[in-house]
Amino acid sequence: MNRSFFEALRSIYPDDRLLTRDVELLPYESDALTAFQTKPGAVALPIDEEEIIDTVRLCHRMKVPFVARGSGTSLSGGSLPIADGLMIGLNRLNRIKKIDPEQRIAVVEPGVINLHITEAVRQYGLYYAPDPSSQSICTIGGNIAFNSGGAHCLKYGMTSNHVLGMKVVLADGVVTQFGSESIEGVGIGPDLVGLFVGSEGLFGIALEITLRLMPTPQLYRTVMAAYDNLGRAGDAVSMVVASGLLPGAMEIMDRLAIKAAEASVGAGYPLDAEALLIVELEGEALQVEAEFAELRGVIEESGAFEIREAKDEDERARIWQGRKSAFSAVGRLSPDYIVQDGVVPRSRLGEALVKIGELKAQYQLDVANVFHAGDGNLHPLILYNGREPGALEKAEALAGEILAMCVDLGGSITGEHGVGMEKREYLPTMFSPVEMEIMRDLRRAIDPEEIANRGKMFPSGEAPALQMRGMHPLERQGVISRE
Amino acid sequence: MTGDVLDSVAELQAFVKGHRRIHVVGKRSKTALHQVEADVALADLSGMTGITEYQPQEYTLTVLAGTGLSEIQAALHEEGQYLPFDPLLPDHGSIGGAVACNLSGSRRHRYGGIRDFILGASVVDGLGRTFRVGGKVVKNAAGFDLSKFLVGSLGQYAIMTELTFKVFPDAPVFQGLRLQYESLDDALNAVFRCNRSTQELDLLDFAPWERGWSLMAGLAGFQDTLPQRAKQFVAMMREETALLDATEVEGDGSLRDPLAGLTGDFLVKVVISPRQIAGFDARVRDIGRRYSAGGNSAWLATDDIGALKKILEAEQLPGLVLRGSVDCPLIGKSPENLLAARVKQVLDPHNKLV
Ligand SMILES: Cc1cc2nc3c(=O)[nH]c(=O)nc-3n(C[C@H](O)[C@H](O)[C@H](O)COP(=O)(O)OP(=O)(O)OC[C@H]3O[C@@H](n4cnc5c(N)ncnc54)[C@H](O)[C@@H]3O)c2cc1C
Repeated sequence: MNRSFFEALRSIYPDDRLLTRDVELLPYESDALTAFQTKPGAVALPIDEEEIIDTVRLCHRMKVPFVARGSGTSLSGGSLPIADGLMIGLNRLNRIKKIDPEQRIAVVEPGVINLHITEAVRQYGLYYAPDPSSQSICTIGGNIAFNSGGAHCLKYGMTSNHVLGMKVVLADGVVTQFGSESIEGVGIGPDLVGLFVGSEGLFGIALEITLRLMPTPQLYRTVMAAYDNLGRAGDAVSMVVASGLLPGAMEIMDRLAIKAAEASVGAGYPLDAEALLIVELEGEALQVEAEFAELRGVIEESGAFEIREAKDEDERARIWQGRKSAFSAVGRLSPDYIVQDGVVPRSRLGEALVKIGELKAQYQLDVANVFHAGDGNLHPLILYNGREPGALEKAEALAGEILAMCVDLGGSITGEHGVGMEKREYLPTMFSPVEMEIMRDLRRAIDPEEIANRGKMFPSGEAPALQMRGMHPLERQGVISRE
Repeated sequence: MTGDVLDSVAELQAFVKGHRRIHVVGKRSKTALHQVEADVALADLSGMTGITEYQPQEYTLTVLAGTGLSEIQAALHEEGQYLPFDPLLPDHGSIGGAVACNLSGSRRHRYGGIRDFILGASVVDGLGRTFRVGGKVVKNAAGFDLSKFLVGSLGQYAIMTELTFKVFPDAPVFQGLRLQYESLDDALNAVFRCNRSTQELDLLDFAPWERGWSLMAGLAGFQDTLPQRAKQFVAMMREETALLDATEVEGDGSLRDPLAGLTGDFLVKVVISPRQIAGFDARVRDIGRRYSAGGNSAWLATDDIGALKKILEAEQLPGLVLRGSVDCPLIGKSPENLLAARVKQVLDPHNKLV
């Protein structure tokens, strides 16, 4: 990082908000994809949007690459720093600027934690719908970059469906605003909110975001069903869909995940099950009760050997606690693991699971499966021991085959974690050369110097060496868990 | 106004390469959008029709862009499913036109608009290249989401040839209700009350009525619970809003069609938020109008487009003229053009698509 750049940064930030010493930079060296680590040149901690805009303009003028960072929980290496580049930490922009319950909207800064929005609007009978498992720690800015989702996104969609308007600074310093407080969002003219959400920090930085809020469901009804094979659980999902019901969530866990979750939180899962299906209905009480009666019939017909209905909020919480802790719980069984989040068409879930089983045998690695069955979003968790020579490479190769399978089956390499650093070599397996060229051109049209999150999403030559994986420090402490 | 009917993507590509300025038409249900200068060649996609892939089990549907909305709705209906964004002009429009203009109907209130249900598209851009944007599965976070960008893009960035949507199971029964209020203020307060409630409405529109304002609400669900839910809803409104009268509506035609009864040479869609309505409405009292989706969009019909244009400019609201003869269908507050221009530079650098 050159001196004149530093000097210019110092004119924007006081010393305590411009980190340059090694010990200060350490926490920023990687995100939740701990396999990659890089030391940034410096970390700037802005407190308002003017500082962000000044910083981005400076980076553009001096051609210094930057990475915006929310809470650093990206699982794809999206918030990995760029060597000698600037990291812009947005956690201090954490104000909820406006809540309008009667219009069901909130206006927030990018560093606001996802769950804090729900906490702030709960008193009005509202909530913010997208629920990544990391929601107690991840930021809206990070959610926007990846179009994050969670177990409850089947009905109401991912982050993109809940952003109505934004103010952004593009990577070349141009500040622009699109969308509105209307549920229509942009409404007239191309949907720029839809384009910006999911752009993985490559277009610029979101400064202010208008979000849509949803009414808290009057009632949740949750059922858990145990099967003696995974295929049967998959078929049960198809039966639910065929019945015309629209659940808020449909999740499946396999034997390894069930055992680990049970050992970890004691959710009351049947240990002899090969597969566990959780289906949850939500909405207006009368309607949900009527739907639940129908769901019960479908599940009873589905060949489950045990069916358990959550009788109250506590039982429901227990079922979900097991599900939400499954990943970290499996992770604890092994020194290291990789999580993928490829998508397959729902009707091909069975096929995908058989294939993963075969790959598991072929590679002689354990794989646990936990997935959003309602939308075909797999989360295979590949276990390995990083201390064994070649083990990481083997796990990577298996992960790669799973991604290739998702594409072959007509799905996607990522449903919610994004491409980031981790899957950039796989992007061309999903998109044709023309499509890749257009996305690259688009990136350059918005960021001619390619300074925003340089090296991410697109395949490229230079990549920091892979290292051992492990849990995110917050996972190790049990603060968050992943899906 | 005739155009070349293009039946295949290859024909369309050749057409784009062979012309300097091009305008796309589907079923031409929105006349205001097709007022183009003499040197502009018309690419008519009304021949590109048909459902290419429909998998009820997947909740996904892929159709060619010229397919009529009614055809799509009929196919979905057979499987008990629907397009939750509730396309406008179902009897006249094509699906490509609905996306290009971003025209959702009143039932979008429940689950969302077109942007919430589009998953992917195949397009031909201004350079004649053909490619796909987005995906074909209900969830995808790979690559830039250009499919959402196409919603509302008026065919000026790329020409859609095929579209993929997420679809949902439709509720077995729908119950419409008409609630009467004395003033707009009372109707707006009623809308705000609905927004603070956990009752899930399928539809929430309001419009002037002979002696005040009429709030049109709809509930969808099962036969045996619907009457009870409707009762609960009306009871809440009676207790907590200045409700004059409530009636159940048999059938749903006029209740669900936001354009019903709107007459005038020009038909305009305006994007608005509920809080902006009181101020705006005071200026459009002489115009036929209906506020839709809980007051998040407005449909206006007028003979004097010049006057409406001035009002929208003053109120800083964006409008899209759908019917009537105008130089430019976009009126009022202009759409953002700093980021959009960058996309244009990539997809249509020679400004062919108008
Ligand atoms: C235990 C665990 C569980 C998880 N569960 C889920 C899950 O269920 N679903 C899911 O989708 N994800 C999940 N994730 C992944 C991760 O939490 C999400 O991707 C989240 O959105 C990242 O938010 P963040 O604030 O940590 O962003 P960061 O990791 O700090 O940044 C992520 C990306 O966003 C960019 N960015 C940050 N702020 C902005 C901004 N203001 N403008 C533009 N770009 C910006 C960064 O440059 C980076 O590219 C999980 C992660 C962990 C560790």
